[in-house]
Amino acid sequence: MKRSDILQLLQEILKRQGKPSDVAETAELSAIGFRSLDFSELALRVETASGRPLTFDAAPLRAIRTVADVLDFLQTASGQP
Amino acid sequence: MNPNAVIISGGSRGLGLVLVKHVLARGCAVATFARSATPDMAALAKEFPDRFLFEPFDSANTAAMDTFVGKVFAKWGGIYGLVNNAAIGQDHLLANMPVEVIGQLLDVNLKAPILLTRAVVRRMLLGGGGRIVNITSICGQRGYAALTVYSATKGGMDAFTRSLARELGGRGIWVNSIAPGFFPSAMSSSLAARQLDTIRRRTPTERLCKEEDLLPVLDTLLFAESNITGMTYVVDGGSSI
Repeated sequence: MKRSDILQLLQEILKRQGKPSDVAETAELSAIGFRSLDFSELALRVETASGRPLTFDAAPLRAIRTVADVLDFLQTASGQP
Repeated sequence: MNPNAVIISGGSRGLGLVLVKHVLARGCAVATFARSATPDMAALAKEFPDRFLFEPFDSANTAAMDTFVGKVFAKWGGIYGLVNNAAIGQDHLLANMPVEVIGQLLDVNLKAPILLTRAVVRRMLLGGGGRIVNITSICGQRGYAALTVYSATKGGMDAFTRSLARELGGRGIWVNSIAPGFFPSAMSSSLAARQLDTIRRRTPTERLCKEEDLLPVLDTLLFAESNITGMTYVVDGGSSI
């Protein structure tokens, strides 16, 4: 799945919660209010869009700090680094 | 999304059937499954052709369960509630208990509801919240001989309830347990009549549980704006105090 498509899904999740959605890849997740359940939802949406089951441990998620980290992780997990 | 679609596992008889009828009477769409159909399932399908779905399969059949959840989601456009009710009982001293029976209890009473919950939560996260109610047992909190593994599964579901509530609370998905005491019939048939008499004598309300005793609590946990999550509600006439 393309990086820009994943970013768009991420922005839609933020928008639905009334949070600013025009976020840069350098944005810190804590600053934009993107929480672990938002990541979980994003992974489900990437899974649906890519048609590939995505399962992963929670440990690597704790190292994720920025929007770019999220996109890197999900691109890799969905098989399109 | 249909805000009123509720899945109730093991709804063909006993407590599950009472729960199914009650939630239907509240106007919800109800989907349930059990190992085999009963005349009640056919009657409900006839009475509520647009709001009732029954499929016969064993809850240990995880592939069928996942397909079922997908079918419910597609049929009603969302899943608002899940009641994990299906369970099997036990009547064995641990030392003499067949290993296969231990496996069955863990599969049906613990693994299956966890997998069913996972399948439903994946839909709820994309849909905007929901309610999950796990029917556990007083056995999860108190000790009863010959109910060791059953107790472990029910205590496990109470623990699952608390951690899942922590995990999902931020998305409006509330998770709670109802832990009934002993019923005179069905699941507690493994207890000898003498044991049930003892429990009854020691119960402040001087009677065992009726299935209907759970309904006011279920209403609160499924339908009320209560801000309650991660809790286990004991409905046992005070026998465990």
